[in-house]
Amino acid sequence: MSIDQAEVARALEILGDGTRLDILGENADLLRYAESEITAQHSERRLRVRVRINRDGRAAAGSLETLDPDAVRTLADRLSAALADLPATSSNAPESPSGTNSGSTAPATPEIVPAQSVLESDPAVRHQWFNTVRVGLDSDMKLGGAIRYDVMDRVVADSTGLFRAETLTKASIQAIAKQDGRSASVKLLHRDADQIPIGEIPGRLREALTPLPSVDAHHGTCRVLLKPQAVNSLIATYGYAVLGANAYATGRSLVAGRLGEKITSELITLVDDGCDADGLPSGFDAEGNVRRRTTLIDRGVLTGVVSDQRRAGLTGGVPTGHAVPDGWRFGGDPVPSHLLLAPGESTEDELLAEVGSGLVVNRLDYLRVLHPKETLVTGTTRDATYWAEDGKLVGWHPQLRFTFKMDDVMNAILGVGAVRERCDQTFMESIVVPSLLIDAGPLVLP
Amino acid sequence: MMRDTAETVLALLPSDVQYGDVRVVRRTHELVLVELDGPGEVGYDDSLGLGLRIVIGGHWGFAATHRLDPQGIDAVIAQAVGQARAAGGGGHVALGQPVTTRATWSSPMEVDPFLVPLSTKLDLLSATVKEASTAGPLVQQVEASVDFYRDEKVFANTEGALIEQTLTESGGGLMVNAGDGNDVQRRSFPQGVPRQIRGHRGDFATAGWEHVLAIGLPENAARVASEAVALLTAPQCPDEVTTLVAGSNQLAMVLHECAGHPMEADRALGTEASLAGGTYATPERRGNFRWGSEIVSAYADATIPGALGSYAYDDEGVPAQRTQLVKDGIFQGYMSGRESAAALGDEPTGASRADGWQRLPLVRMTNICLEPGESSLAEMIAGTKRGILVDTNRGFSIDDQRMSFRFQTEMGWEIRDGKIGRMLKNCTYQGVTPQFWAELDALGGPDEWKVHGVPSCNKGEPLQVAHVGHGTVPGRFQNVQVGR
Repeated sequence: MSIDQAEVARALEILGDGTRLDILGENADLLRYAESEITAQHSERRLRVRVRINRDGRAAAGSLETLDPDAVRTLADRLSAALADLPATSSNAPESPSGTNSGSTAPATPEIVPAQSVLESDPAVRHQWFNTVRVGLDSDMKLGGAIRYDVMDRVVADSTGLFRAETLTKASIQAIAKQDGRSASVKLLHRDADQIPIGEIPGRLREALTPLPSVDAHHGTCRVLLKPQAVNSLIATYGYAVLGANAYATGRSLVAGRLGEKITSELITLVDDGCDADGLPSGFDAEGNVRRRTTLIDRGVLTGVVSDQRRAGLTGGVPTGHAVPDGWRFGGDPVPSHLLLAPGESTEDELLAEVGSGLVVNRLDYLRVLHPKETLVTGTTRDATYWAEDGKLVGWHPQLRFTFKMDDVMNAILGVGAVRERCDQTFMESIVVPSLLIDAGPLVLP
Repeated sequence: MMRDTAETVLALLPSDVQYGDVRVVRRTHELVLVELDGPGEVGYDDSLGLGLRIVIGGHWGFAATHRLDPQGIDAVIAQAVGQARAAGGGGHVALGQPVTTRATWSSPMEVDPFLVPLSTKLDLLSATVKEASTAGPLVQQVEASVDFYRDEKVFANTEGALIEQTLTESGGGLMVNAGDGNDVQRRSFPQGVPRQIRGHRGDFATAGWEHVLAIGLPENAARVASEAVALLTAPQCPDEVTTLVAGSNQLAMVLHECAGHPMEADRALGTEASLAGGTYATPERRGNFRWGSEIVSAYADATIPGALGSYAYDDEGVPAQRTQLVKDGIFQGYMSGRESAAALGDEPTGASRADGWQRLPLVRMTNICLEPGESSLAEMIAGTKRGILVDTNRGFSIDDQRMSFRFQTEMGWEIRDGKIGRMLKNCTYQGVTPQFWAELDALGGPDEWKVHGVPSCNKGEPLQVAHVGHGTVPGRFQNVQVGR
């Protein structure tokens, strides 16, 4: 842990009553490659100290990159001056309501054990991974992608005595192989680098770059098999747009007011669980709330949303542990962080057989919300996209753009794969999902 | 102190370093945001650190740290050197001509925004919110905000360059959400943002407080909020192929995605293929690829006074400059950094920038501009029998080659027989870059040319956010698929 508890305590003393610190010590090491050559190596050491002071119904925030007392004192003076200038407002009510997070009554911090494989890594390991994948490909295949190791020391502490700390490790590799104008991709990630099966990646890429002919673009509707990386984009975007407590409370969510009602296919059971080892576990959120396992959709029925302290009233008075950091570039509302979609019973071959004549999509890219309330989104396929006939892959299909309502897709699930993959998004820590077979209708081939 | 740190780092580099550069950067940011029920956010961010980039054995190593003490500097050098040496030698990095500039530069401004009292900022934003709230009870959410950035940067390299720059940027904006239980509609002013980002919205410039005052937030707030309410009962945009008239700020984002990103040289060289993607604008297409109709010419220009993508030197020490991207509809060339320019056999265009001290410089668009045409928005509308007028971006998606796109706008209007008709909601339009721009048949004139500052251009891994500008005019396109 690179963050000194005594320095944190001293900073809290300087900043005074009503202060919360959200501190992140980042150690990131990255190897990037393109056209089978290394293009960049990046190493970053950074300390981010986010300060929020809520005092007498007024709130001010700041950040700096040191816990040096002089720097903290300078920020404290500035925030105090700002607080003096601000009028009181009800929207800045004191936090830590009803003992949910005060120092003396807070529940214990879940223990997340960092992986030595990441803590002790060096650049040579990443070169070794790169070389393993590169030499495992055919000679006419070009490799692009990135290998990244992260060590993140986190502390959330406040002036009531709360102190939570954890060290999170993460290793990830993205490998994109190109051949004859076609591409296939694999992304694997884990808290423990030793658990990532690097040796399997070349075989998966070679298999995905299957020597099938190109087929003409099909139009209209058909069944679509979304492989896990494509489901990742769908479920993450759906969760972000629909399943946060503030969107629910303000009516911006499609499912506002529908707790207890059927909102998706009965084949969908979706939970958010920051402590599930199938994802990328982390024990608490930016307010220091312990992450709680929250069933969001149970066999198609809406059973919950995720909350922070401000919206804890929607989740039984206790936040679910989904407060986002101050200044987060994806907004200020609580949103899911660790989604897990329950697996089904179908093998990938069985799902493909059920496709009949239809599309197989490995990746949905640049999926963007056009209308949140209607869950209308648009995005494109990317990398391996195939056409199937009679349940068998028969050719490479041109990339295409889908514009659809996620709500329609979530109600048209015909099958769920038994095998799940661990994925991530820039706006979500982890998403664990299987393949989904979508009935003909909501996904229209233009 | 920052200059001393940079010189200390360079002096400590081992002798086998073939090239090295160091950037010491302090970034200061202030945000003030007011909501319907009062001040929602006052924030001050301060970030100071250094990024070191070296070449050993023909391989890059980059390391960055917030620790500027001797131990921190030793560690950052060891990390960068360790990375480059781990590649095993035998590589080759070509950077073209050495950069030896020694200079100092500060961006111009009239009123330092960091010296304007908080109470003045709160008064402006509170007046804006108050005006917006006059649109009635269906107004559910109002956010008015101002943001100010200051980057103090020292760049030094082993070729002898030493450049000190200070850039001050100011911006402000308004977002209104209206809802009636069935629908939610958003209006933004003076331009939209793709997500519900708190703050960081509106129009930005490399300028001072005077830019915020010129935006006219309170003066436009009631109109913008009324439009959000009116959208709730407006008809849906019809599905049809029709004539599209795009306002200046809407065209800014289309230009950003269709010309800005694809004409960044690193995409053409494949180094962004794993994340952002590649480009249709491949090197062999320079000078012969028809990007758009004959009336369209586009360029990148980092020297436009006050524009958000302007500076004096990029983060490799190369002077800011103007670069022709499209001339009379034909794709001409790229924005580039030193390495990507050398790989293409070009001179660098001074477009290599990093997001703070902790990130590696990448090829980033600067101010992407359309050369104005000879028409006007009024003439385009008057000359259109049937079509739609769209304004203010709400969201978009484009494929990894920057070809197939779909944009959604916050609002639109019917055009019937040369006149503006009903307001339309949920307007989207889609196209494929060269086909779409080939249908451009009119562009606004010089008096309608305006630079829009966008502080949220994302690229790279780790993700970097760049501040860019777009000089655009209204434009008219035929045969565009619109719909909802």
